[in-house]
Amino acid sequence: MKRIVLGLAMLALGAAAFPSCLAAQSDAAGLFKSKCVLCHAEDGSGNSPSGKALKAKDLRSPETQTKSDAELAEVISKGRNKMPAFAQKLKPDQIQQLVAYVRQLAKK
Amino acid sequence: MKFQISAVSLSLLASALLFPNKSAAVPSYSRQTGLACSSCHYAPPELNAFGRKFKLEGYTFATKPEVSEDKEDRNSGLHLLEAFPLSFVFDTSFTSTKAPQSSTQNGNFEFPQAVSLFLAGAWGSHVGSFVQVTYDAQADHFSWDNTDIRAAGTNGKLFGKPLIYGLTFNNNPTVEDLWNSTPAWGFPFVSSNVAPGPSAGAVINGGLAQDVAGVGGYAMWNDHLYFAGTIYRSEHLGATQPNDGTCCGFNIRGMAPYWRLAYQTSSESNNFEIGTYGMHMKSTPGAITGLEDGYTDWAADFQFDHTIPQWKNDVLSIRGTYIRENSSLVASFTNGAADLVGHHLNTVQGEAEYHFGNRVSTTAGLFSVTGTADPTLYPTGPVTGNLNGSPASRGYILSVAWWPQQNIGLTAQYTGYTRFNGGSTSYDAAGRNADGNNSIYLMARFVF
Repeated sequence: MKRIVLGLAMLALGAAAFPSCLAAQSDAAGLFKSKCVLCHAEDGSGNSPSGKALKAKDLRSPETQTKSDAELAEVISKGRNKMPAFAQKLKPDQIQQLVAYVRQLAKK
Repeated sequence: MKFQISAVSLSLLASALLFPNKSAAVPSYSRQTGLACSSCHYAPPELNAFGRKFKLEGYTFATKPEVSEDKEDRNSGLHLLEAFPLSFVFDTSFTSTKAPQSSTQNGNFEFPQAVSLFLAGAWGSHVGSFVQVTYDAQADHFSWDNTDIRAAGTNGKLFGKPLIYGLTFNNNPTVEDLWNSTPAWGFPFVSSNVAPGPSAGAVINGGLAQDVAGVGGYAMWNDHLYFAGTIYRSEHLGATQPNDGTCCGFNIRGMAPYWRLAYQTSSESNNFEIGTYGMHMKSTPGAITGLEDGYTDWAADFQFDHTIPQWKNDVLSIRGTYIRENSSLVASFTNGAADLVGHHLNTVQGEAEYHFGNRVSTTAGLFSVTGTADPTLYPTGPVTGNLNGSPASRGYILSVAWWPQQNIGLTAQYTGYTRFNGGSTSYDAAGRNADGNNSIYLMARFVF
């Protein structure tokens, strides 16, 4: 009985969190589309004419994925080489959403 | 009713239209994106693949702060750049022709030759502009220049592949184009406004620039296939409104459609584009009713950019275009402004350019215009006249540009003619040879 109640409680918590997870992912996807796809392409590969022109990194690559979350956030905030800084445009939580989204790209 | 433009003004106009100064490296885009000019340009105004994407997406990509409010329920949103998207270009130049033009001083220094102001940047999250206003030293006033205001959608899908699409409001056929192989943004990128130029030019080759207003659409599918179409009406700035037609040689009857289809492909080091474009126009010279002149322009173009990693990522660019214009000048013939009804005009332009990084570029270009001879349409006259009514001109352009800073450009350009307005020797029947119009043109451009 206790296990059933516990399981239902976890289910309820998960259900409550699920919409916000979806919303966060949707926000991150929207951010990535509007700010990142121009250079890094939809799949994060950088394999588009504009991406190749700026030698945009493949975000799925080990070179990118082995960086820590803090390092990825710093690159997004301050820019690097041809990549502009987004600190003035994006809020810290938006940058964190993008970091999480970049992690997901490698799993697709 | 006869309607004629003086030969001198026609030649200067043709020269300016065939070889207009093109300002398209715009600092407000740099300020908006946080990216240097070299991110979008090999050397301004030439766009690389990233620059083409930026233009395609409506000039809206930005990393800088904005005043923003998201749309909600019945309330509209706002995304306004905090930095006002204004830019300034100052051109000063020196021109010398091999033979002086009669009764004028050779070695002409213009300070400025032209000054342009730009309203160029994002107006919102999906709307952006390239709007240019230019002061010309000869006219001594500002006038409206190239304008392209667009609204873009970047998240489309067609058959599962990405689709970028948009609307454009513009005032010059091919100004909306992404490549530097079509007239509005093609080579030469700078030119003198005092050296004589060929009198004949196709209408799509600058003949309607800033004299029309158009609304159109465009789309890029899967980063490969580009289509654009715009319909134009005459819009004579500075003339009586509504248009009564008396000011001008071209008064579009109905609408003039423009079309563009291009295919691009790219690899790590190469970008290649091949395409076609054209337009059709019915027009009445000097009036808005009565008989019409008809023009149909068909054109093909290509552009190839090769990045050379072994040579410090220098870029070799090769571009070319061919324009065929068929015209039926019923109105002009009836008015006594042409000897024939049926005409054609062939224009060929091509160039090879080598970019040493983004600091120096060297270009060699060839051009040729041939077509139907018509002594009334292309009359004789000192300097600007035509031999036997022939529109044929042929020549070459050699250019070196040095950008010591990305917003300061110095250009030395030599234009040579082997044939000018139908002839090589005494083409104007007054003793002027084609090579007498060969010119040295030095220009300094300051961009802020």
